[in-house]
Amino acid sequence: MPGRTVTPWLLVTPALLFLTLVFLYPVVKLLLNSFSVGDTFGLGNYTSFFGDRFNLEVLWRTLRVALVVTLVSAVVCYPAAYGIQSVPPRYRGLVTALIIVPLMTSPVARTYAWLVLLGQTGIVNTALLRSGLVQEPVRILYTEWAVYIGMAQLFIPLMLLTLISAMENLPRDVVPAARSLGATSLQSFTRVILPLTREGLVVGGTLVFTGCITAYVTPALLGGARVQLLATLLYQKAGVTVDYAAASVISVVMLALTLTVAGVLRGRGGRT
Amino acid sequence: MNSSRVPIIILYLTLVFLVGPFLVVFIAAFGGEPTLKFPPTSFSTQWFTKVFEVESFRSSFLTSLGLGLMSTSLALALGIPVAYALSRFRLPGAVVIQTVLTSPALVPGLVVGLALLQYFINLGGSVYPSLLAAHTALLLPYVVRVVSTSLINLKPDIEEAAISLGASRLTAFRLVVLPNIRGGVAAAAVLAFITSFDQVAVSLFLTGPGVSTLPISMLTFMEYNYDPTIAALSTLLIIFSIGLVLVFERVLGLSRYV
Repeated sequence: MPGRTVTPWLLVTPALLFLTLVFLYPVVKLLLNSFSVGDTFGLGNYTSFFGDRFNLEVLWRTLRVALVVTLVSAVVCYPAAYGIQSVPPRYRGLVTALIIVPLMTSPVARTYAWLVLLGQTGIVNTALLRSGLVQEPVRILYTEWAVYIGMAQLFIPLMLLTLISAMENLPRDVVPAARSLGATSLQSFTRVILPLTREGLVVGGTLVFTGCITAYVTPALLGGARVQLLATLLYQKAGVTVDYAAASVISVVMLALTLTVAGVLRGRGGRT
Repeated sequence: MNSSRVPIIILYLTLVFLVGPFLVVFIAAFGGEPTLKFPPTSFSTQWFTKVFEVESFRSSFLTSLGLGLMSTSLALALGIPVAYALSRFRLPGAVVIQTVLTSPALVPGLVVGLALLQYFINLGGSVYPSLLAAHTALLLPYVVRVVSTSLINLKPDIEEAAISLGASRLTAFRLVVLPNIRGGVAAAAVLAFITSFDQVAVSLFLTGPGVSTLPISMLTFMEYNYDPTIAALSTLLIIFSIGLVLVFERVLGLSRYV
């Protein structure tokens, strides 16, 4: 019956057509634009972008922030995800809700909280001054530290939820078994928990890393003009100085970074 | 044993780090000083009144609401058939179709916004259709993923039974499949709406004079105003998301879909 073979195509065609016309085509066109100088093919946009020390610094800083935040969230979230087993069952729903609420909240509102906390007259500086640890307000806002803090708060929920669900799949008694056989808690982590939850770690790590590379609000509000990342540089080039050549190069670099990391996910995490 | 308490302590400290800043925003929103100060030294609710008086917030809230509802509906209309086709038929090239459908989730939002800006400028289009297109494309991967999950969990037997009893595939879908996956569809709708409503990166280049979304208006407002109005607005948004999470966690078990 011809109807059986045509039906699925009728179902997927509208979405595919829509995405091709208003998403894939414009994005590919933007990416290809980066390879044209005037009307001819050339790598001029790339040599001039990568020839600028400032741009290289921004690229390096973006990678550093993404890497540090990914590592820190893994180090924090492993024990935290393990700890949920000790939470009384009737409070586990509440704990999960507390992790999800930030995810569902406007990133502008979430980042704004750090402006209140980290500013010159913010709570952190007030506490430092009162305790006598410092004599005058410390500059935290518009430094790389502020970006680390903001990004960590933004993306830790993703790592935490991924690791919690990875640990739910752990057989309940593997850790006590390892301990009773003489493993230290560090050994039972590196030899038992880590290998069994590696897929979750790779998925969570990818979400955090790509999230850091593409996030705009956090570096814009907490880093400002002093601590630019690729996302804020892209906005500046395209929105402020109208340098579309540089903007298209940054677009290619950002996409290449996220696709590389997502590709690593597919290779390493595989079976998810 | 003492060391066995370390993980749970780290969990609680992490929760404080995640949620604590919200409390600070709540408190700052009730400050009486004309510039943001923490802790505030006097009490006032004037900033909540001001939120509703700022014209750019009122108009951009309506834009964000309409945009969220329209892009969510469009993404559901385009995405549910795809999820159904992928879960019920063996399509040659299913991998390619899946890759195309997840691609909006892989491309950085700013890049999407910039690409569509240039594209729609060349077409001579206006801002709003490009915003709607960008948001719909962004939501499609979420909708397909969440609806697919519920379709895979629903055994095809009952719809096959309906079809063998004479129902058309469309009737079987409407009367048998849809009622069984409505939890997944509702969860997809909620996640999609929130994603659109909170979206900054995709919208940044696509808002202009006359058309702005709420998050973009907040960013613009913050550049020139240092009073706690944004704290009051953020408080309202945070309460809104807490309410949403509580309701849908209870009704749908949202955490299964995030």
